[in-house]
Amino acid sequence: MLILRSLKLEANHAYGISQFLQQQSDSEFLVDNGSLYPALQRLLQREWISAQWKVSPNGRRARYYSLTPAGHKQLVKATSKWERFALAMARILAPEG
Amino acid sequence: MRQWWSKVARALARRRDLANELQQEMDAHLQFLIDKNRERGMGPEEARAAAQREFGNRTLVHERSYQSWQFPAFESVLQDLRYAARGIWRARVFSLIVILTLAVGIGANTAIFSAVYAVLLKPLPFPSGERLLWLGESSAKASGISVTWVNFDHWRKENRSFESMAGFEKADLTLTGRGQAVLTHAGVVTNEFLPLTGSRPIMGRLFTASDDEPQSAATVVVTSAFWAKTLSADPQIVGKTITLNGTAYIVIGVLARDPCFFLQPIDYYLPLRPTPAQASNRDAHGDMRVLGLLKSGVTLSQARSDLDTILQRLALADPGPEDDHRAFAEFLTEQRTGDLSHVFVLLMASVCLVLILACANIGGLLLIRMTTRARELAIRTAIGAGRSRIARQLLTETVLISLLGGAFGVLLADFGLRAIEVLGPPDIPRLSEASLNLPVLIFAVALTLAVGLVCSLVPLVSSNKVNLILLLKESSTGGGASRIGHALRGGLVIAEIAAAVILLFTSGILLRSLWAAENLNPGFEPGHLLALELQLPPLPYKSEGSILDFYRRLEAALRARPGVESVGAVNCPPAAGDCGDWWYSVVERPTPSREDVPVTMVNMADPAYLRTMRIPLLAGRALSDRDQAGRPAVAVINEEIARAWWKDARSAVGQHIELGGPYMKGPVIEIVGVVANVTQIGLDSPPLPEIDLPAAQRVDAAMVVMIRTRGNPESMMATVRQTLASIDGNVPIQSLKTADMWLGATLVQRRFTTLLLVLFAGIAVILASIGCYGVFNYWVSCRRQEIAIRMAMGAGTIAILRSAGRQAARIGALGLVAGLAGSWAASRWLSSLVFGVSAHDATVLTLTAMTAFLVVALSAAIPLWRATQIDPIETLHEA
Repeated sequence: MLILRSLKLEANHAYGISQFLQQQSDSEFLVDNGSLYPALQRLLQREWISAQWKVSPNGRRARYYSLTPAGHKQLVKATSKWERFALAMARILAPEG
Repeated sequence: MRQWWSKVARALARRRDLANELQQEMDAHLQFLIDKNRERGMGPEEARAAAQREFGNRTLVHERSYQSWQFPAFESVLQDLRYAARGIWRARVFSLIVILTLAVGIGANTAIFSAVYAVLLKPLPFPSGERLLWLGESSAKASGISVTWVNFDHWRKENRSFESMAGFEKADLTLTGRGQAVLTHAGVVTNEFLPLTGSRPIMGRLFTASDDEPQSAATVVVTSAFWAKTLSADPQIVGKTITLNGTAYIVIGVLARDPCFFLQPIDYYLPLRPTPAQASNRDAHGDMRVLGLLKSGVTLSQARSDLDTILQRLALADPGPEDDHRAFAEFLTEQRTGDLSHVFVLLMASVCLVLILACANIGGLLLIRMTTRARELAIRTAIGAGRSRIARQLLTETVLISLLGGAFGVLLADFGLRAIEVLGPPDIPRLSEASLNLPVLIFAVALTLAVGLVCSLVPLVSSNKVNLILLLKESSTGGGASRIGHALRGGLVIAEIAAAVILLFTSGILLRSLWAAENLNPGFEPGHLLALELQLPPLPYKSEGSILDFYRRLEAALRARPGVESVGAVNCPPAAGDCGDWWYSVVERPTPSREDVPVTMVNMADPAYLRTMRIPLLAGRALSDRDQAGRPAVAVINEEIARAWWKDARSAVGQHIELGGPYMKGPVIEIVGVVANVTQIGLDSPPLPEIDLPAAQRVDAAMVVMIRTRGNPESMMATVRQTLASIDGNVPIQSLKTADMWLGATLVQRRFTTLLLVLFAGIAVILASIGCYGVFNYWVSCRRQEIAIRMAMGAGTIAILRSAGRQAARIGALGLVAGLAGSWAASRWLSSLVFGVSAHDATVLTLTAMTAFLVVALSAAIPLWRATQIDPIETLHEA
C-alpha cells in the first residue's frame, strides 16, 4: 500500500520509492531492499503497477514504476480499509475521558 | 487464474529476461546510492562500498524477487530431481547395480503378472462372464459328470436362480462334398447357448427353440473363419447346405466372431437334440454339460440347492438308479483355470520372493551408501537444510532410480512375454493373450513406486538415528555404523538368504519331479515309433466290416514298406489321456454295493499292437487274430487292475470281468492276459486301471496306427502319408507324430513351470550373494580400526578370521534356518506339483542347504580375506 501511495503522484524508480518512503515517514520507516524488490515484483504480477525504462533527471537509466487503473482502485480500497483500521486502533488506544 | 497464467507465461518465456532486468535495475539503484554518496564528498571506492553496504545482500534480494516469479514447490522438486540425477550419475556403478536388480525384479513380476492376468484375472469374453456357471452332475464317486437331457430340461424350466441355461457338448464331424474330406469341429449346443456367450450373426440368424426339436430340419450356424476358409466366403451361403457325416445341414447363419468357449477352434455350431432314449430316460448320460447365467444377487450355493431341489423332486416322482445324483456347479472362471491357478499362484509367489530379494538388496545397498553419505548429509543439515527437505531429496533419488529400474523392467517383461509365447505350454487357455496392457502397466508402475518408497524408507529410518554433531566430529568411516544400522543390514541379509533358500528348495523339488517324470518307464519303447491318428469318415465306412477291412489293408500296406518293422493299431494310445471310463466288476468276486463299483479305462487294440509297442506281457497270452467278432469275448488287463484284485498276475488269467458293473447290462469278458502298465494320462501321472479289448470285437472308426520303424521315424512320415493315400485319399489325417512327441507333450507345462522356477532361483541366488557380499564387505570396512588394533596387539590371521567369520556364520545360519522353515511350509503347498519324490525330499533339502552355505561362504570369503590383509600401522595412522 505504501508503495502504491508513493506512486500516486508520479512514476518513480525503486531507489526513489525507498527515498520517498523514508522522507515521508521522517525516517521512521527504513525500507529494506530485500523486501522492496520482491514487493515490487508481486505488485507487477497483480498488474497494479507497470514498469518501463526511462532516463532519470540526473541522466541515469532507471526502471520507472507507475500505477495502473487497477492499482489506483486498489490504493483507494486499501487506504479506506487502513483508515478504518487506524481509526479503530486510535479509539481503542486513545486515553479515556 | 489470470495471475497464475501470467506467472506461467512469464516464467516460461521471460525468465532469463526477468533476471537480467532485475540485475540492471539493482545496478541502477546502486548507482543512485553511489551518486548520493559522491555528492556527500566520498571517494569513488568509498562511495561504492558504502552504497553496497546500504543496499544490503544483493544476491538475497535477487533471489527473493526472483522467487515471486516461480513455483517454489515445483521448482524444488525439479531441483531435487536434478540433484538426484546428479547423485545417480556420480555413483554410476552403484546405480547400475540398483537399476539392474530392480529391472530383473520388476521385469519378472510384470511378465508373470501379465500371464496371471491373462489366464486368471481377465474377465471372460462373455457378457456378464462373472455370473456364468459351469454345471454338471455329481454322484458319490465323481463330480462334474455329464447332465442327462431330462435333468437339464427340468432344470431349465423349473429353476429360480438362473436367467438362462444352455446345454453344450463337442463333436467331430467329417465334412464332405467340398474338395477333400476334412475333419471339422462342432459345438453342439441348445438354442440359449449362442446368446449366452454374446454371439451375434453377421448373416442369417442364430438358433431358436424350434431348432432344438428332434423332428425339425438339420441346421448349422458357421463361424466366420470357417465361412471364409472352407465355404470360400460365399455371400449367399445362408439357405445352402453342407454335408457333415453324410447328412445335409442347412446353413442358417454366420457368426460375427467365435465366442471361443470351447478352448479349441470350432468350425460351426449344431443344435443339441436329445436321442429318443435321452429324452425319456432320466439316467441316459451323454457328454452334455450345462452353462447357466446366474440371476444377479444369487449365490453359487443358492443356485446349487435350487437345482438339487429339482433333482430330489424328480427322484421322488421317477425313482431310478441315479437318485443320489446332485448338481455340480462352479463358476466358469474357476472351471477354466482349475489346477492352473495353483501353478500361477506358485509362480507369482516365487517371483514376489525375487522382488523382495531385490528390494532387500537395494535397501542394503542404500543403507551402506547412506552411511558413506552421512557426512555430506550432516553438512547439508548444518548449513540449514531441514530434515524433511533432506528426506524428500533422498526419496526423490530413490524413486527416480526405481523408476529407471521399472522402465528397464517393463522392457525386460516384454522380452519375457515373447519368450513365454514361444516356450509356453500351448494348452493353457488364454496364455497367448498375455500382453503389456493397461492393467499390467498400472501394476508395474504401482510396483515400482512401492519398491521405491519401501527402499527409501530403510535409509530414512536409520538416518533419523544419526546424531549430527557426533557425525561431524567423527571420522567418515564411523558415520552411521550404528548398532541399529548393522542389525537392519543383518536382518535384510537373513531375509535374502531365507528367500533364496525357499526358491532353491522349490525349484529343486520341481526339478527332481521333472527328472522323475522324464525318466519314468512309460511301459513301452517310445523310440523309433510313429503314431498315425485317423478318424474314418462315416461314409463309406459305415459297417464294422469296412472299418476293420480298411485298417487291415492299411497295416498290411505299411508293413510292406521298407524300413517298417511292425504296425499295430490302438484306439487310445499312451499319453493320449482318458478316452473313456467304464464301471466294471469281477464276476468271481462278491458283488460290490452301488457306490463301490470300480471304474476302469477301456481301450481297443488289434493283435499286433502290444508287439509293436513292446509292452511286456506279464501273464497269459496277448490278443490274437483268433479274437474275432462272434468268438468268445476276451480282454487283456493291465497290472494295475490285476494287482487290485489278485495276488499275482497269473491268477487273473481265466477270470471274468463284467463291463458296466453289476447294475448295468454289459458284456462278460474273459481275462486272457495281463500286461505291464502304460502311462495313459501323461508321464507325470500315476498308472490307472485299464482293459484292452480286441479291436475286432469292439470296432471303432477312430484308431491310432502305431508304426515301429527301423531308422529315424521322422524320415518315414512321407512314406506313411503316401501309403494312406494309396489306400483311401479321402481319409483325413488327424495327426502324425512320433511317440516321443506324444509323451513330451504331456510334460510341456511341467517343464515350463520348472524352467521358470529354476530361473527365479538362479536370480535369487545371485541377488542374495551380492547382498551378502555387500554387507560383509561393509562390516569389515567399518571394523578396520578395530581389526588393526587387534592385529597390533598380536592377534593372528586365524583370530581375525574367527571373529569376522563368526558374524558371517551367524547370519548365514539364521538365514538358512528361516529359509528351511519357509521351505517346509511351502512344500505342503507344492504337493500337487510334486511327482515321484516326497515334498520334503531329503536330498533336495540337503542340496539346498549346501548351496546356501556355499553362497554365504563364497560371498563372505573376499571380505574376510580383506580383513586379514589390513595393515595395522597404516590403518592406525589413518585414524
